[in-house]
Amino acid sequence: MHLRLTDTPSAPRILPDAGLTEPEEHLPDLLRTPLDGAASATRAWRRYPAIALDVRDLSPDQAARFVAEAAQGAFRFDALRTRPEEEPHRLATLEVVSTDPAFRAQWPALEAEIEGADFARRLVVEPSNRLTPATFLAHLDPLRRAGVAIEAIGASALREQGFGGLLAVGGGSVHPPVLIVLRWAGRTAPVALVGKGITFDTGGVCVKPADRMWDMRADMAGAAACAGAMLALARRRSPCGAIAVLAVAENALGGGAYRPGDVIRSFAGRSVEVVDTDAEGRLVLMDALAFAARERPAAILDAATLTGAAVVALGHARAALFANDDALARAVAAAGEASGERLWRLPIGARHREDLESAIADLRHCVPGRGQPDACHAAAFLREFVGDVPWAHIDMAGTDLAVLPDGGTGGPTGFGVRLFDRVMRDRFEAAA
Amino acid sequence: MIDVKFAAPSLPQDGALGLLMAEGEGLTGLAAKADEATGGAIARAIAAAEFTGKEGSSVTILAPGANFGRVVVAGLGKMADLTDRKLEEAGGALAVGLARAPAAAIAADALTPGRAALLGYGAVLRSYRFDVYRTKQKPEDLPKLASLSILTEHPETATGSYAPLQAAARGAYLARDLASEPANVLTPAEMARRLGTLTEHGLKVEVLGPEELGKLGFGAMLGVAQGSHNPPRMVILRWDGGKNGEAPLAFIGKGVTFDTGGISIKPAGGMEDMKWDMAGAAAVAGLMTTLALRRARVNAVGLVGLVENMPGGNAQRPGDVVKSHSGQTIEVLNTDAEGRLVLADVLWYAQAKFEPKLMVDLATLTGAIIVGLGHEHAGLFSNDDNLAGRLLEAGLASGEKLWRLPMGPEYDKQLKSDIADMKNITGRPGSSITAAQFLARFVNGKPWAHLDIAGTAWATKDLPTVPKGATAFGVRLLDRFVAASYEG
Repeated sequence: MHLRLTDTPSAPRILPDAGLTEPEEHLPDLLRTPLDGAASATRAWRRYPAIALDVRDLSPDQAARFVAEAAQGAFRFDALRTRPEEEPHRLATLEVVSTDPAFRAQWPALEAEIEGADFARRLVVEPSNRLTPATFLAHLDPLRRAGVAIEAIGASALREQGFGGLLAVGGGSVHPPVLIVLRWAGRTAPVALVGKGITFDTGGVCVKPADRMWDMRADMAGAAACAGAMLALARRRSPCGAIAVLAVAENALGGGAYRPGDVIRSFAGRSVEVVDTDAEGRLVLMDALAFAARERPAAILDAATLTGAAVVALGHARAALFANDDALARAVAAAGEASGERLWRLPIGARHREDLESAIADLRHCVPGRGQPDACHAAAFLREFVGDVPWAHIDMAGTDLAVLPDGGTGGPTGFGVRLFDRVMRDRFEAAA
Repeated sequence: MIDVKFAAPSLPQDGALGLLMAEGEGLTGLAAKADEATGGAIARAIAAAEFTGKEGSSVTILAPGANFGRVVVAGLGKMADLTDRKLEEAGGALAVGLARAPAAAIAADALTPGRAALLGYGAVLRSYRFDVYRTKQKPEDLPKLASLSILTEHPETATGSYAPLQAAARGAYLARDLASEPANVLTPAEMARRLGTLTEHGLKVEVLGPEELGKLGFGAMLGVAQGSHNPPRMVILRWDGGKNGEAPLAFIGKGVTFDTGGISIKPAGGMEDMKWDMAGAAAVAGLMTTLALRRARVNAVGLVGLVENMPGGNAQRPGDVVKSHSGQTIEVLNTDAEGRLVLADVLWYAQAKFEPKLMVDLATLTGAIIVGLGHEHAGLFSNDDNLAGRLLEAGLASGEKLWRLPMGPEYDKQLKSDIADMKNITGRPGSSITAAQFLARFVNGKPWAHLDIAGTAWATKDLPTVPKGATAFGVRLLDRFVAASYEG
């Protein structure tokens, strides 16, 4: 997507209007839309090669949210089509109309964030026969070109170093797991981003129902968000150090798959009893978090499409936020409000941790039975692997894919990229 | 209920004795004297048990000498971190340890009289039992503890501090009794009859039956009730302890005496739990009883909507449209989302009739709240940050903890119906929030909070001050809330 900042529109105009609840289309050159309607507005007007987003009446943060959501609506993945659609998608340029110096000052950051989010969306939308743990690395070339150092720890090195969680989860697939480490050198102790990168999640031996299983190709959206945020940081030459740890594996059914009841040894050295092989995200994250904590980062932020419980709790309007540090939690929640990638904090209670006691290992990774507070259990589990590093965990199972009016899931949102970039800007770069 | 008395601190000559020990500190005061009297047997037993005074831990020592049959030592944790709540929990632990003795003393000479009273409160809360239906219980299986003497420097002051706590415990006992009763006994009419007897404590009680509710236009609530042979009731409990004419606080409870789900019937597994789908109403009754017993200086009104949700030849169907007391129409897409239909009418009535300062409703409303939060916190939803903040504080202080969840137009819009003003369910995502949004449509500008207690109304295992079973969640929380904010 090509973005252009201008003070006068030269294309059909989309005009946000706080008073509207439904869009009003005045063909051919004006579409007035509610403040939260940018994505559907650009989708509706995808026949135009260029659209002007007139954000002159909005505050800088509002304008940035509107433009970012418009870019999300304009996202298109045509690589796999072999012949043109009847109603082709021509939209290639978004003009952004603003005369506000404060917004113009934020523009380079917004451009970088939208590029990062588009990058994340392209990763998320890729089908799992194309994006495997083996091919994941090749997709990260734009990061390398932007100056991010990339290291991949392959299966044999993972075995040598004892990444028991990642290896167990990846064991059922012919594509072995990989831990990808991205580094952006800055002037400060790095902030660590950790992402769940399950390229496809069948559920493993505890296999998922067939209905909607196709959405599981997006189960690496947390890793994509971390990679997208690294791209944004690099594009805007952030003064802040950052490291992203992507735990990439395919949770497949197969003769080498791990089983319910298995006990595995985590990278941190602790033994974990497996209850349900479909709660695999927390097992790859436990190793990635412990790896990240060893780098002594200023903070760890992780993103994962982790639990259905987070969706039951908060729906699709907000992702769940958990933390072991109140100040960090407040900063991340504030960045969520500012960026429009909104969060709501949920508790990690003493009972949640008690529920993870295992009869034969240091802990079990989830709790059997329906109706469990599984998002809270997962967070209580992950907290065990970050030591005393300030840590925030984003369970984005409800926000990785857009929700269509009929309740179905649409394209990828790129959720997390602007959130993480905003946390870096507002909390960590001030100190750099 | 155990009879709790306070007496001057002199070492008992025999019987059962409860002691306290802070972490990292030895036995002091009366506890040290008791140890001395037993020739150091208590200290030796503590050492042998590796008991360090950690909070939540206790040790029981049988026949240590000096005519003591049993000595129980409860840990308080670090003295610097001691809270009122931890003392209640220590009282609960001592009550369990001392339960086999008909009478016992607790040495509280190191505590202020106000804190000594909290031990009795915790002991009473933890000792609740519901034995109404046991006909073959052997005496040796029953706890014997009937009277507890708490030894403190200022027994009279402690007795004064204990009075309002005992009132709250009695309120909690009532709420637990009601929630524990099976649904063939506790029908809407029977629950209304029992609430009618609360006039003995000074509450004014008004009961409205199906005809009156019909005249008022309670279409949402009556739709839920129509499948059952047990007709509905609304009970209004008033306590006028405040200034004459001052607007009351309103507390509203969901009282579904049994919830089969109706035509949208629930699965059989676990359906027995639905006898306590009136726990919100029980908590309101317990709270109002507490306020009356302690002569609270506040005007309060409690309203409970009592119905049974049954399938039947005349039961409400999915797809029915009902007209609520507010005039708004509701498309009932799932008859198992009935609690909000009952609350809709009662909430609207409470505002129109009493013009309260604020409203707090309690309801075992959604399974989603258990998936969201578990069993340690109830869900809090509110249109008023100040009210929400004070409820959160009261939750921490009382140990009945709340966790706030978000509301907003992005959730409200999911209630849009194709043929009525709203529908009564949404998809599962965010469904505790959309339930709260539904209720918010029946709040007419008043400060309001909704407590979704589906995860906290019943304990599946013993807790420090709650035995397994009905918890009475909300009674102590709201008693604290009222006392802290409205009786100054």
